[in-house]
Amino acid sequence: MSYPRIAVLFGIAISIIVFAISTALYGKSSLSDQNSSKLNTFGGHTPGYPTLQTTGDVLDPTSFVINPKTAVVDPMKYLREFNYGKLSTSSNGTVIRDFTMIASDQQTKEVSPGVFYNVWTYNGTIPGPTLRATEGDTIRITLINNGSKFHSIHFHGIHPSEMDGVFEGIAPGGKFTYQFTAEPFGVFPYHCHMQPLEEHITHGLYGALIIDPKKPRANADEMVMLMNGYDTDFDTENNFYTVNGIPYYYMHHPIQIDQNRLIRIYLLNMLEFDPLNNFHLHANMFNFYKTGTKLIPDEYTDIVTMNQAERGILEFSYKYPGKYMFHAHKTEFAEKGWTGLFLVKEGTNQSINENLNVTSIRNITNYSTTDFNKTSGLVPTGGVN
Amino acid sequence: MEIEEGNTSNTHRISKRTILFGVIPFIVIGAMVVLLLNSSGVLFQSSIKPLPEISIEKVQFSENNMITAFVRNTGPSEISIAQADVNDRIYPAAVEPGRTLTRLADAKVIIPFVWNTGEPYTIGITTDDGTRFDKLVNSAAAAPRPTVGQASTFALIGTYVGIIPVMMGLVWYPFIRRLSPNKYNFFLSLTAGLLVFLGIDALLESNEIAVDNLAPAFNAQILIIMVAIVTLITLLYVSQRLIQRASKRSKPDIEYKTEYSSHPEPDLGTRDMKSTSTSFQQQLLIRPIAISMMISIGIGLHNFGEGLAIGAAVLLGEVALSSFLILGFTLHNTTEGLAIVAPMAKSRRIPVAKLIIMGLIAGGPTIMGAWIGGFLYSPIATVIFLSIGAGAIFQVVYSIGSWMYHTNGSRGLLSNHWIIIGFALGMLIMYLTGLLV
Repeated sequence: MSYPRIAVLFGIAISIIVFAISTALYGKSSLSDQNSSKLNTFGGHTPGYPTLQTTGDVLDPTSFVINPKTAVVDPMKYLREFNYGKLSTSSNGTVIRDFTMIASDQQTKEVSPGVFYNVWTYNGTIPGPTLRATEGDTIRITLINNGSKFHSIHFHGIHPSEMDGVFEGIAPGGKFTYQFTAEPFGVFPYHCHMQPLEEHITHGLYGALIIDPKKPRANADEMVMLMNGYDTDFDTENNFYTVNGIPYYYMHHPIQIDQNRLIRIYLLNMLEFDPLNNFHLHANMFNFYKTGTKLIPDEYTDIVTMNQAERGILEFSYKYPGKYMFHAHKTEFAEKGWTGLFLVKEGTNQSINENLNVTSIRNITNYSTTDFNKTSGLVPTGGVN
Repeated sequence: MEIEEGNTSNTHRISKRTILFGVIPFIVIGAMVVLLLNSSGVLFQSSIKPLPEISIEKVQFSENNMITAFVRNTGPSEISIAQADVNDRIYPAAVEPGRTLTRLADAKVIIPFVWNTGEPYTIGITTDDGTRFDKLVNSAAAAPRPTVGQASTFALIGTYVGIIPVMMGLVWYPFIRRLSPNKYNFFLSLTAGLLVFLGIDALLESNEIAVDNLAPAFNAQILIIMVAIVTLITLLYVSQRLIQRASKRSKPDIEYKTEYSSHPEPDLGTRDMKSTSTSFQQQLLIRPIAISMMISIGIGLHNFGEGLAIGAAVLLGEVALSSFLILGFTLHNTTEGLAIVAPMAKSRRIPVAKLIIMGLIAGGPTIMGAWIGGFLYSPIATVIFLSIGAGAIFQVVYSIGSWMYHTNGSRGLLSNHWIIIGFALGMLIMYLTGLLV
């Protein structure tokens, strides 16, 4: 055999080895190759996007129902759940409302389908429970700290310094009772005020407190919507945006409401890191009561923008049945979970709207300033009873 | 166990005690492994969950409104993929074969998405602990599909870039044959310069791919050096064997140019050959062809890597294939043909068929590389092939260097200014033609 022939054979051999290595590398499939028989369908929510079938797993937070056992909250339950506390009456006839809140910081729960995050919670959910009282009631909240760090509850509203939840942290295993008079009426966030504040808030220690005016607002289908986000990879940017704790939840579980029925939403923004958040309602307009501290709407609009801890009350009713979207009109947030649907059912209760005497900003222009102040429920400066 | 003659037998006889000493380390290490794996973290308990890591090795855009990300679990433990996003916006997706990935396992994440050609996209993958990993594609382009048409296009590109330039370089063979010794040395060192450039280029290129596309878990940078060195020493060994065998079998009636006969031959390959002047003369004639063949193989490996890179660039949308780019590669690679023929200039006439075979060995792999790179891109394979190419090229440089050393004899390589100029010019030519690519 001559030398070039040996060389040629050598060249061929190398080519074969090269080819073998390459096919081995490219052809290698995953070890988790299993149950290839079943076909799952995915995609196709948006016109123009194909619906496909796969032998693998589908990742779709917009249509997946989160496992209720591991989820950080049941958004449907949270939506209309108001906690009025354990009622008692003091000697002078004041209504006392007792609440118990348990802070914890060592649980890992599902915040979006398949995504698990170390959540810090009041009573095990994000957002924490919605507390509700009437103006003038005595509110007593006992905080039990089951966590590994100092925690507190700082309520927005009017109360004495020592009830502010800022300077006195509750040690792990400790207990403290906050007591104050519910005033003024309106919507208030509460949250942990321990340092680092950002960390305690972004992990989930917040919720809503509603103080009703002494003369109740008009009867309505009431709900709470708390806007938040999760920074699951700790880069000070939110990976998920939600209303009521689970991204896209109301997309696959639309909120059912009745046609022409007055809807009242207590809306709060507790979003960390992003300076702004907002709420936009489709195919409708709402009356907006900023901070909920007045009975006269500030604005008739279809979008409201809020900084962190800003809040208000929205009132509207749907004229036509059907599916309507509501979402942040910061589209980034909308496309990372802060999107939901109302399902307006054909109304059986046409008369309810007339009975309610809904005040729209369009027909209050003749209100006098004195009327405005009388109904606003504002407390004079420094007035702590 | 073989016992060498003349040695005392007890130094090579293995006693039971010796066996024991040989086995003890294995027993101890085995016991440690069992203990550590079964103690379920009691010994070295860590409350810190290891950080997950995913590498998005490739993102492919398909014409039927689909984006496919090829991901690999390069972290220390099993992970589950929870979500996919495009430009940081969540989209429904599928993950095949499944969302759970064991260590180093891979999966395909398919995202239906109406993408626009030429726009940048960041594809993000979020794991079950909420960590997001992403990869930016600078310019989306439809992935070539393995159709006959696309395969022919790649074959044509491979022909332009690999085969034609190498063949054109070979055409210089008769010209190089007529050169004076100094000019011949000049061309040989020019070749060495070209090849050193190619070798360094391949190392840098593979390093770039390793840094950009491969997870640290692969230790790809050390892999590059390792593969290059192993290739180099393996090919050195193979070429020595090749020369030895060829020398033994070749007939002594070949024509020989006396100008090199006066130099001694200290080459390793002849060490156990009982060097006579006849076999040495044969050696001098045989070696150039063997060197040329090794150069062809080395360049072939290099061009395979180059083909992979071209195919991958098309696939990943990094390069819009233009006539200009192909022209650049063609000019760049013409010098490779020159590298093949230069060592053979002073040997007997080489049949055209052999030259063509060498040209095909050197240029042909470009086509295969373009096919594999274009249809089945894998960064780890590209890194390995580029490193093999680099090792092969450095072997060739070594062969040319030692050939020149022996043919120049006592004068030494660095005392000849033609060699220095040739070497420098070789690298300069590659640099300048490289600017076109």
